[in-house]
Amino acid sequence: MARERWGSRIGIIMAVAGSAIGLGNFLRFPVQAAQNGGGAFMIPYFVAILLLGLPLMWIEWTVGRFGGGFGHSTAPGMFHTLWNKNRFIKYFGVIGIFGPIVIYIYYVYIESWLLGYSWFALTGRYSACTTSEEMTAFLRGYQGAASNEHFSGLGTAYLFFLITFAANLIVLYGGIRRGIEVVCKYGLPVLFVLGVALMIRVFTLGTPDPAAPENNVVGGLGYLWNPKWSALLDAKVWLAAAGQVFFTLSVGIGVILTYASYLTKKDDVALSGLSAAATNELAEVIIGGSIVIPAAFAFFGAAATTAIAQGGAFNLGFVTMPLVLQKMAWGNLLGFAWFVLLFIAGITSSVSLAQPAIAFLEDEFNLSRKEATLIFGLNTFVLCHAAIFFLGNGVVDELDFWGGTFCLVLFATIETILFAWVFGMENAWTELHVGSDITIPRVYRFIIKYVTPAFLLLVLGFWLVQEGVPVILMKNVKPENVRYVLGTRIMLVALFANLAAMVWFAWRHRRAQEAIA
Amino acid sequence: MNPGGWIFMGASWLFILALVAFSLVRVLAAKEEGGEPPAPSAK
Repeated sequence: MARERWGSRIGIIMAVAGSAIGLGNFLRFPVQAAQNGGGAFMIPYFVAILLLGLPLMWIEWTVGRFGGGFGHSTAPGMFHTLWNKNRFIKYFGVIGIFGPIVIYIYYVYIESWLLGYSWFALTGRYSACTTSEEMTAFLRGYQGAASNEHFSGLGTAYLFFLITFAANLIVLYGGIRRGIEVVCKYGLPVLFVLGVALMIRVFTLGTPDPAAPENNVVGGLGYLWNPKWSALLDAKVWLAAAGQVFFTLSVGIGVILTYASYLTKKDDVALSGLSAAATNELAEVIIGGSIVIPAAFAFFGAAATTAIAQGGAFNLGFVTMPLVLQKMAWGNLLGFAWFVLLFIAGITSSVSLAQPAIAFLEDEFNLSRKEATLIFGLNTFVLCHAAIFFLGNGVVDELDFWGGTFCLVLFATIETILFAWVFGMENAWTELHVGSDITIPRVYRFIIKYVTPAFLLLVLGFWLVQEGVPVILMKNVKPENVRYVLGTRIMLVALFANLAAMVWFAWRHRRAQEAIA
Repeated sequence: MNPGGWIFMGASWLFILALVAFSLVRVLAAKEEGGEPPAPSAK
């Protein structure tokens, strides 16, 4: 079978940018910046982009294209080609399929809320909710956490989940060129248009309540950007910036490896990687930083905005923003634009999370696209129910910890060491520049070999002590939720073991075929 | 917003816009030189 290819260069840049641009750009970044030094946060943030984000982008694009040349679209095969003398390295590559599946299990459900809320915004379903408490009750009713005047069960949420899940499968069934590339090429411009429209609306709010002149948009921008210099002396701020860069660029997951594997040997990766990162930053810092916090500040003031930011991303996206947008003229349409924007950000990310598993089935088991999509769809459909029915029991937090945090940092550390030290910096640098449209400054040879791995090990160590150990020991889990968290862990161990067994079987089968040939 | 806030916001925006402009110009220039890669048929 001929290997699938991207239809155009813009297509893959859009696809990688689409994978990177997610809910975090619009909800996580502004909160992180506001809580970690305001404008001063941008110093560690840009340092992390230059020393961690860009090198990882280039590593993943290069390893992906390199592995694709050997017919591998996923990390087990790629790691094996980088270090073919080591029999076990391919099992470390399993993380690059396992992690995306784990994130997909809960991400696609949250994505379905966005579709649901787009519909509610357009039809005015939540327009009677005028306070934070009422909007929270609406969200809890939708999630099935409470039965109230808005919802009497999970039925509506489940319906939107089915639609969203089916939409993802349709895109995935279309393949790289006719599915993912088409959605990203058309979806991303729409996302940017909606983002800029919302940004302009927020910037023209002025002072919504003349009785409270201190609550205005410029004050909101100041809340986000005024530098607090003492924050730079706090290690936690540097760690938060590194974490934000990590999560926002979609590095360390395995999806960029898979996307880049569909490039040809002579396609550029250096400029494309830089372009995808730049597009993501445009969405995050300029658009993401100009909507949520300034709008919340203009309507609710500094004290309430602090409380809102501490309430977390879900609260900000599904409670605060609908309330804020409702207060404006054409509130329903603006709410619709907000949730459609987030839904596009969601679906371009979720299809990228599904692709490594589908590509693994296609490459290593010689399945057709249709068969691979069907197997992936059936398995993840079952697994998603853990996130749907046990959302309030700590299951999603647990999935997010292992799939969305632990695996990311670990996988990035492994692939960086493999690329710079095992494959060798000389080979790595040459491979990175094959077909390149730009020359990367030579200082990056040093950065990729020494600084990025050291930075990653530092992040991994700090993070394990600060967050990892308490989560692993379930210190913050309510006693009644312990069994759900344990059940989730058993499910994850079974999933990882199953994927590792599939890798073992695929290589055994390959060796047998090579022996016959 | 104090002057420090304006400086940080302006500098961050300028840096990112410059990065986007550089990428866009180079991608378009490369496209004109070499053209889009041929699109082989999907499997």
